[in-house]
Amino acid sequence: MTPDSNAVYRARRISLASLTLAIGVLFLLPLFVESTYVLHLMILIFINTITGSSWNILGGYTGQYSVGHAAYFGAGAYTTMILLQYRHIAPWYGIWAGVVAALVTALIIGSICFRLRGPYFVLASIAVAEIFRVSVLNLKNITNGAEGILITEIPPLSSGGILITDWDSKVPFYFTGLVFALLVILVSWRVGRSKLGYYFQAIREDQDAAHSLGINPTIYKNIALSISAIFTSLAGSLYAVYVGFIDPGSVLSVELSVQIVMIGIIGGVGTILGPVVGAALLVPLSEGLRSNAIANLLIRAGIVDPESRAGAFLKENLGHAHVLIYGILVVIVILFMPEGLVGFVRRAVARRASR
Amino acid sequence: MAILEIRHLSKYFGGLAANSDVSFEVPERSIVGLIGPNGAGKTTLFNCITGYEAPSKGEVVFQGRRLNGLKPDRVCRLGMVRTWQKVRPLRNLSVLDNVVVGALCRTNSVREAREIAHRQLAVVRLDQKASILAGALSIGDRKKLEMARALATRPKLLLLDEVMGGLNPAESEEIIQLILEIKNQGLTQIVIEHDMKAIMRLSDAVVVLNSGEKLAEGSPEEIVHDQRVIEAYLGAEP
Repeated sequence: MTPDSNAVYRARRISLASLTLAIGVLFLLPLFVESTYVLHLMILIFINTITGSSWNILGGYTGQYSVGHAAYFGAGAYTTMILLQYRHIAPWYGIWAGVVAALVTALIIGSICFRLRGPYFVLASIAVAEIFRVSVLNLKNITNGAEGILITEIPPLSSGGILITDWDSKVPFYFTGLVFALLVILVSWRVGRSKLGYYFQAIREDQDAAHSLGINPTIYKNIALSISAIFTSLAGSLYAVYVGFIDPGSVLSVELSVQIVMIGIIGGVGTILGPVVGAALLVPLSEGLRSNAIANLLIRAGIVDPESRAGAFLKENLGHAHVLIYGILVVIVILFMPEGLVGFVRRAVARRASR
Repeated sequence: MAILEIRHLSKYFGGLAANSDVSFEVPERSIVGLIGPNGAGKTTLFNCITGYEAPSKGEVVFQGRRLNGLKPDRVCRLGMVRTWQKVRPLRNLSVLDNVVVGALCRTNSVREAREIAHRQLAVVRLDQKASILAGALSIGDRKKLEMARALATRPKLLLLDEVMGGLNPAESEEIIQLILEIKNQGLTQIVIEHDMKAIMRLSDAVVVLNSGEKLAEGSPEEIVHDQRVIEAYLGAEP
């Protein structure tokens, strides 16, 4: 064995060990952390990791920047919630119906939008997702329209007469989110090393060249979209049951679609770790901004005097400005780290190593 | 035996005839040179043959099978593949992975495709650069990569669109040797080229296009002495 491959082997072993450790810590976390707020944040991070990773399979690997992923999120959320609330079908069956609904949605959207390329595809994906939102808004007898659906109770999950969970704390949602997130990461990793992954990337890099090498772009784009839609729908279902309430504004909005894209772009497009990093950063950031944690932190650190006009202004308004600050951060990342955080760090490490 | 037959092929873009009534045959294991002034319709003809454009009239028959309207991916799986005049490397993939994508046309195993790709890179002498990004290659290496990637799909007929364009004499010579080597392995090739010396050395037969029509067809010697060809390239004497 050459020293070079030895080093690669060792690096692989180290990263495998740290991965196992990280997963172990995540599984044990609810035993030590009592704070429901931390668990809540973690569940949101898991949900965003799932949506970001799903989007990454289509946007990052295949290069099709869908800004309409709320459609699949909403398809899962609405199917699961309608079945649960009006048909009394437990969510652990409902989510699979949600997956089917999202797949049907994906095939409809794919057949329309994949005729277009580049920015035209992006615009079409927004438009078609909006059609879904408006439809759900108006199909009042099925979806309850703008009032949304509120679940009154979730049936307890038991197996062979033994109660597994009655869903009355955040912990079962935590584990469901963690398992789904690990599953989508595993699938991303597996896809990336398979024939599918090569074909997806070939289409991203140059669709015409890919076509000449025996790749049917339409079929492979639809495969990427289907994989992506399945997991986005799982995230949607999980979110719906966890929060217990959905309406078109929360699970089918353009804002949600944009947020899904942002996680991928800020974390690092086309990397497995990117959406994880993106979700782990953006969720606490957006929650923190919303609850005015930054202004409070500035005041507590003594940087800003709460009695001064500036301090009063920040305390009053910074919480409302969370979308603005979020937007500015996104612009900064896109300007200075076009490859996202993971790509930026990787490049910096490579630069140091080559020096 | 002709591996490819072009029968009365025409391609119109609106009122403009990019190809009109072009017919010729490509015998198996031969090299056919396709020449003509700029705008003669050479690349359009390639597009019609490989499925990027559907011919307006006429037929493309490959190994006895009518291809009209078949998409490029199907054409490639049948055994006909092209390279691009303006090279199209998959920039953010490594040189090796570019060729792996081609090799996956005939196998589902990534491991096997990597082996094929390594061998194919050795053929075009790019094996030393297997791990660098395709976007970082020089123009000469990009042309070689195009050829390796196309060859990895295991074609029976290879269509080369100006693989020597923009290369220096040493690089051109390397490509010429490569084309002759490929021919010896039993592959049929159609070569679009502007360099007449290269065409003379490579081609078993030459087809000349002018303003979308077939102007002449024959051995390289016949073509260089053909009065109509000389006029088309240099202009008629007053």
